[in-house]
Amino acid sequence: MSDERYPRGSSDEPIGGETASANDSCAEDAARAGRALLEEVRVLDNYEEAPGVWVIALESPRVASLIRPGQFVHLRLTGFEAHILRRPISVYGTDAEAGFIELMYQVVGSGTDWMTKLEEGDVLDLIGPLGQGWRPPLCARRALLVTGGLGAAPLTMLAEELIDAGVEVETVMGAPTAQRLVCRERLEGDGRGMVQVATDDGSEGLHGFSTVLAEERLQAAHDGLIEPYDYIAVCGPAPMMRIVCATVARLAPQALCEISLEKRMACGIGACLSCVVETVDGLKRSCKDGPVFAAEEVVW
Amino acid sequence: MANLTTTLGSLTMKNPVTVASGTFGVGRDYADFVDLNRLGALTSKGVSAKPWAGNPGVRIAETPSGMLNSIGLQNPGVEAFCAEELPWVERLDVPFIVNVSGHTVEEYVQVIERLEREETVDAYEINISCPNVDAGGMTFGTDPHAAAAVIAACRKATKRDCYAKLTPNVTDVAEIARACVDAGADGISLINTVLGMAIDIRSRRPVLERGVGGLSGPAIKPIALAQVHAVYRAVEVPIIGMGGISCATDAIEFLLAGATAVAVGTANFIEPTATMTVIDGIEQWCDEEGVDNVRELIGALEE
Repeated sequence: MSDERYPRGSSDEPIGGETASANDSCAEDAARAGRALLEEVRVLDNYEEAPGVWVIALESPRVASLIRPGQFVHLRLTGFEAHILRRPISVYGTDAEAGFIELMYQVVGSGTDWMTKLEEGDVLDLIGPLGQGWRPPLCARRALLVTGGLGAAPLTMLAEELIDAGVEVETVMGAPTAQRLVCRERLEGDGRGMVQVATDDGSEGLHGFSTVLAEERLQAAHDGLIEPYDYIAVCGPAPMMRIVCATVARLAPQALCEISLEKRMACGIGACLSCVVETVDGLKRSCKDGPVFAAEEVVW
Repeated sequence: MANLTTTLGSLTMKNPVTVASGTFGVGRDYADFVDLNRLGALTSKGVSAKPWAGNPGVRIAETPSGMLNSIGLQNPGVEAFCAEELPWVERLDVPFIVNVSGHTVEEYVQVIERLEREETVDAYEINISCPNVDAGGMTFGTDPHAAAAVIAACRKATKRDCYAKLTPNVTDVAEIARACVDAGADGISLINTVLGMAIDIRSRRPVLERGVGGLSGPAIKPIALAQVHAVYRAVEVPIIGMGGISCATDAIEFLLAGATAVAVGTANFIEPTATMTVIDGIEQWCDEEGVDNVRELIGALEE
């Protein structure tokens, strides 16, 4: 997909008004120090990428320039106030220069259904960048990314960044059906990354789950048939991640394995303790200490 | 410019706005968004004598104009609170109210005894109203004798102001308030969350693992206003009013109903700057309406 897809809004008026512009430099200083911003954002595009899976592009220049792979934004659906909570959504793509971010979402309830009605020019607000993203080792040479369903979205920016850094990236993807194999092009990174797929209904690739493909790759590396992986990143439904973590512990214990755990959140900034995850060091907050956790840290 | 300063018992507040316990930690997570020193007072999350892990499983559910929570007062215990949170609060220039939780009367007293050694603490809010714990919490706050027993024991342990935080899940909140004041409470704080339930029809199970949780947000504001007003008519002590406050209009409604101060709770989750919006909005409204002193509004409801 071309980065020119979302030109900057035609209006020269900065959204967020005077306060936002006046605070720009100090807000950016704050965010560079790992702190979050509250930003008014304009919808640039909103389209159905695959059945039930949508992509919304938001003009969000400050967050676009600061967000790291695996981090998320907490979106407020202006005009949908009877549903009071913000929606945490991981960032699927970003273009710092053009000043936009892309979020991928699945229509699962009234909130996401309402989101599909948003049109170019609508204004929302978001808090971001939030959370701890992926932390691949600096010396990583070969990475294995394992996705399940929409879990592919938080891995795309990571794949692109790793590929650009010269890391060999292999991805095993799983989806209910071929049409729902979203993010594939980006994970392939213009042919520089290798992608294998599995579908629940057998409509493409392996008839089964990505956990099986992950095990095959890890077994091959373990048996010395392929080069070993030094970094493994996993995102998908919890049962799928648990299986992959167990496989990694058995076949590639030397590799750093990280998972992205999404829990129900209210505040998104660490205060409400809604989204806690049980870890070997006690309860941690998915929103602030995560969503990315080292696999060995999580107690299933 | 209107004078927003208010006196809450022994505390002087720059404005009548504090935060509802459990929605704001001790403010650290909000420091990116708000100038904490602009708050009228800071109210901590509930602190217990020993660490509490809180409840397992799904802890929140969104409901019409509100949310249910079943956090279960997860907190690191009073020792860790003193070591990890107080040094940070000490740097702020804002009155500090600590919310005190316990399973037994003795546990409430233990928390206060430990905090009496800390100068950073200005007042206590005694939580006898949490619906999400099995022992203590709301079981104290639904019975006037049990409520009075907790408050009387806390009263003996400190000279600092003690606010009884009450649950709306009772037939007559004024009776509980009177019992607390008779037992030595310096003020009343209300309402805590309303007991509620959400059901997932696909699994035919409650959304929250514990079955029920506490409802908060705009949905409960009318309940809170009625209860604040009932307590205002029943007792002479100051009231911290809360329940669904998300804008200045909401806050002014609580002042008119009889609250001396107001707390912003769930709104912080939605808009991290909500407290500032409320403070600015009260000031603007007072200026527009020719209200010189915000205290004129307390209990000024015309009936």
